[in-house]
Amino acid sequence: MGQSQAKALGHPSLPIVIIPHPFGSQSRASVRQIAEQCMLDIARVVCEAGPAPAQSTQAGPRAAMIEVGDDLDTVNQLFRERRWSDGLPIVPPTAERVARMLRGTARSRDEVVAIVAPGFGAASVELIAVNAVLAGCDPEYMPVLIAAVEAMTSPKFNLQGIQASTNPAGVWMIVNGPLAKRLGMNSGINALGHGNWANSTMGRALRLILQNIGRALPGELDRSTLGQPGKHLFCCAENEEQSPWEPLHVERGYRADQSTVTVVGAEGTLNMNTHSKDAAEMIRVMAETIRRPTGNDYCKGGDPWMVLSPEHAAILKAGGLTKAEVKRMLWEASRLPANRMAVIDMKRTMNRRQAELGEIRVDTLLPICVAPEGLGIIVCGGPGTHSAHVSSFGNTRSVTSEIDCSRP
Amino acid sequence: MSVAMSVFDPTAPESSAPLQTRRVLDGLKGKVVGFIDNTKPNFHYLVEDLSRMMLDRYGVKSVLKRSKGKVSIPAPEELISDLAVECDLVITGSGD
Repeated sequence: MGQSQAKALGHPSLPIVIIPHPFGSQSRASVRQIAEQCMLDIARVVCEAGPAPAQSTQAGPRAAMIEVGDDLDTVNQLFRERRWSDGLPIVPPTAERVARMLRGTARSRDEVVAIVAPGFGAASVELIAVNAVLAGCDPEYMPVLIAAVEAMTSPKFNLQGIQASTNPAGVWMIVNGPLAKRLGMNSGINALGHGNWANSTMGRALRLILQNIGRALPGELDRSTLGQPGKHLFCCAENEEQSPWEPLHVERGYRADQSTVTVVGAEGTLNMNTHSKDAAEMIRVMAETIRRPTGNDYCKGGDPWMVLSPEHAAILKAGGLTKAEVKRMLWEASRLPANRMAVIDMKRTMNRRQAELGEIRVDTLLPICVAPEGLGIIVCGGPGTHSAHVSSFGNTRSVTSEIDCSRP
Repeated sequence: MSVAMSVFDPTAPESSAPLQTRRVLDGLKGKVVGFIDNTKPNFHYLVEDLSRMMLDRYGVKSVLKRSKGKVSIPAPEELISDLAVECDLVITGSGD
């Protein structure tokens, strides 16, 4: 990973010394032995010139084209061999299809929207369109993808950490505003599941962008121990019509008639089934569900989310609670005693959250995020008593970007 | 193979970042060495051991130890630029 990133950043001859994995779990005595060899290696590599760097390849404004046999099987075989797909068959990105996709945006084909970590590839509008074609998107989805790329490359999102980590986090897209309905997105029954073209292909396209432009290939720059199904795709719209509160984008300062996409560094969903009809009781059981000693959010002070079903949200609203009050109550009730963590994890937490929380003792109650406002809430889904908790990568903050809905 | 068609390569081109050549050292003697602790488990022990060996065995002039604070967040620009000015060599780590 170090070599790939050094090359991408213009330092192909950066001297690197390799310590075999795992290092973090070694005993103190073992670390001393490792340090002996490491010292010899460092003394050697800093005095070596290393290979002469090849001439820099200037990235052209246009994506490269290649010739391939004119049938779907041959194209997919090529994409499979080159690891250009997400493990599923793709739609061939011909010049005609890409041109049609580009008609979905007013942005210039050659414009670089952002640089995508960890491979630091340039996400031009054209390359976003190529990956949108692979995923089966409609041209009308392009503005959402462009806004999502802008959002996820914001420094506070920490895409580098999310993409290269052993943590299973992926990028969850939440679409708000009138565009979600115009695109036919699902915010109701099975909104986080399969079956809707816009949700599925946009989520898939973003994963392909993360992999093909950000170069986060599993086993290479993507070091995720397990991954999770949401790394294939994780995309929904908020069920604004059935929410008793202001939608996410309005909460974040946008007008209701604007459309936005919010990206979250999300680990996955944890279902919360409760038939409780009492707001206080519902808060209690939800808080007990999300409070767990192995969560990154507790260790780092993270960016946790709640996806409340319309029925659950209605019960909380009927209990007299605003969204801000639900956040505060869940935040307080879900605090975790530090000593419920493994000792080593508690020590890591003590180091990491000391600046935020002051001295952390074994009986300190750790909040899941820095402040109640940091707990994200959307209303989503159809009828039923199921809500979901979405834990985060930890060192990440969700970002909302406005979607440019102007016609090309 | 049937008639060929053209498709786009969906990957980003190789980096256009300007190439930078590094300074090759003539040894560690008399040099100022910086460490950026990545805050991963055991890394501080590695820094401790390497520092001692550099000072005792290799004649390193001094060692500057800094921590980037949070494990999965890049080190602050100011920390990096300060070390770049003060040190002949800076060592950090990545991984577990």
